[in-house]
Amino acid sequence: MSGAIATPPLPLSARLAKSWATLKRNHIGFVICALGPVLLLFGLIRLYPIAETFRLSFYDYHITRRSSPFVGLGNYAYLFEDSPFHDALINTICFAAFAVVGTLLLALAAAVLLRSIEKAAPVLEMLFYIPVVTPWVPASVIWKWIFDPTYGALNYALSFFGIPRLGWLQDPVLILFALVVVSIWKMVGYFIVIFGVGLRAIPEELLEAADLDGATAWQKLRGIVLPLLRPIILFSVVTCTIININVFAPVYVLTASSQGAPAYDFKVLVGEIYSNGFVYYHMGYAGAQCVVLLLFVMSLLFVQFLAFREK
Amino acid sequence: MFRERSVRIAAWICCGTLALFTVVPVLWIVATSFKTAAEINAWPPTFLPGAPTLENFTEILFHTDFPRYIFNTILVSAASTVCIMITSSIAGFVFAKYKFPFRNTIFMILLASATIPLEAYMIPVYVMVFKVHMLNTYAALIFPITIMTFGVFFMRQVIMGIPDELLEAARIDGASEIWIYLRIILNLSKSGLMAIGVFAFTQAWANFMWPLVVVSTGDMYTTELGLAVYQRAFFTEYGPIAAGAVISILPMMIVFVALRRHIMAGIATSGMKG
Repeated sequence: MSGAIATPPLPLSARLAKSWATLKRNHIGFVICALGPVLLLFGLIRLYPIAETFRLSFYDYHITRRSSPFVGLGNYAYLFEDSPFHDALINTICFAAFAVVGTLLLALAAAVLLRSIEKAAPVLEMLFYIPVVTPWVPASVIWKWIFDPTYGALNYALSFFGIPRLGWLQDPVLILFALVVVSIWKMVGYFIVIFGVGLRAIPEELLEAADLDGATAWQKLRGIVLPLLRPIILFSVVTCTIININVFAPVYVLTASSQGAPAYDFKVLVGEIYSNGFVYYHMGYAGAQCVVLLLFVMSLLFVQFLAFREK
Repeated sequence: MFRERSVRIAAWICCGTLALFTVVPVLWIVATSFKTAAEINAWPPTFLPGAPTLENFTEILFHTDFPRYIFNTILVSAASTVCIMITSSIAGFVFAKYKFPFRNTIFMILLASATIPLEAYMIPVYVMVFKVHMLNTYAALIFPITIMTFGVFFMRQVIMGIPDELLEAARIDGASEIWIYLRIILNLSKSGLMAIGVFAFTQAWANFMWPLVVVSTGDMYTTELGLAVYQRAFFTEYGPIAAGAVISILPMMIVFVALRRHIMAGIATSGMKG
């Protein structure tokens, strides 16, 4: 045996007394009184609803009915048969894919280019940020008028190129394009600022060294800037995807009929949750759709978590 | 970063075009809100109003329930802001300055849930509000926006910067923890707390999904909800709708222009957290 003298283990009561003394020295009473209510509220409006969403999805839950029978995976089985849900899922994924790629490529390009006109950058960033502070509903109202088939500015602008009037909000493909444009317009400024933060953190000496080696702008971008920007790009992809998977307000506004011409009924995931849950009150089934959304979001966050833990 | 002449020229052209893309639509609606109905429906469309008029604003402010919506929104946003400022600063203070079991675990759970959108778990929240017979009330509108995870995170960062010695000195003088919070922490984290307040107000103001779900009568509409429902019902009257949109954007613009430095700094923090 080693020569170290093992201290005899303290009796349980003494250990408890000791840890109680530590807790008391750290003002545990105040911690409980101050943090307790906040955590309780947090549990009530975040954790409990998230858990309850999973539970609800196994029941045929109806808010005004007394009985809500357990249906197991019944709601999930119906997800496979429900064709509006399939449309919504495909639409949401297409929309999010185009919107995320469009927003981030544009934001990245603009953020990089802004670094070469450093003096004008703050003013331009402010202009890019105006749509970000514009709430979604007025933003969609603005664009609905631009996309208007009869009086819209877009069709007017296109008429100069000899393109006939297009029903931007009436055609199933064009409305996807219209929604993607609204989303890019709304969010690009935010990601320009985020990328700007990452770009400013890149040491200037690295690029000067590359200049001395005769590297072109493109080589500097590929070899130095993009690799160093990877964590921020990943953060942006996750954030931007979550924002766009949740799209609803612009769809609600842009797909309403305008000037008597009914718009194409573009279905999205949150729209389906809204109509199943709050129009038809099939809350169990809407819960299953919420679980789909939750799993999307959680897997994205998990990917981000894993990627950042590596470092 | 890139000093090449060709890159600089490309930068001016691309960023200029992008700025036009982001700014012109907003200017467009501002201009439209001052146009007469005849001019709005004219072809070809005009950009600047030929005969500026306030009739759209008088229409929406005096002949509709829109002022009521504005009042509701201000009330709900202000209440939400106060709640978030209180909860964020208290929780941020405790997480920053006290040691207690599971502190990091609790904080991680808090942070992990930050990005999960309300849309994904709003059904149980709705059921809860329904069970206590609070649907269609101000309390229901405020309930899910009384805490902000980012606010807790941000206030923790700010309060961690306050030296521990200050707190110790106050304790030696016999100050209670509550006194320390009220007199020292709140005083020294004032500007951070203001930033969170502004952020909370703009978020509450722009809220659309939750009011849509929880509100059932016109007298409880918020501006966002009112605007969305209005434009569905009377899209042919674009003038008043444009005026309503301008009214709903205006407070956001004022806040942004007045506090743009703080807002940009705040985004930097949220971006770096990733």
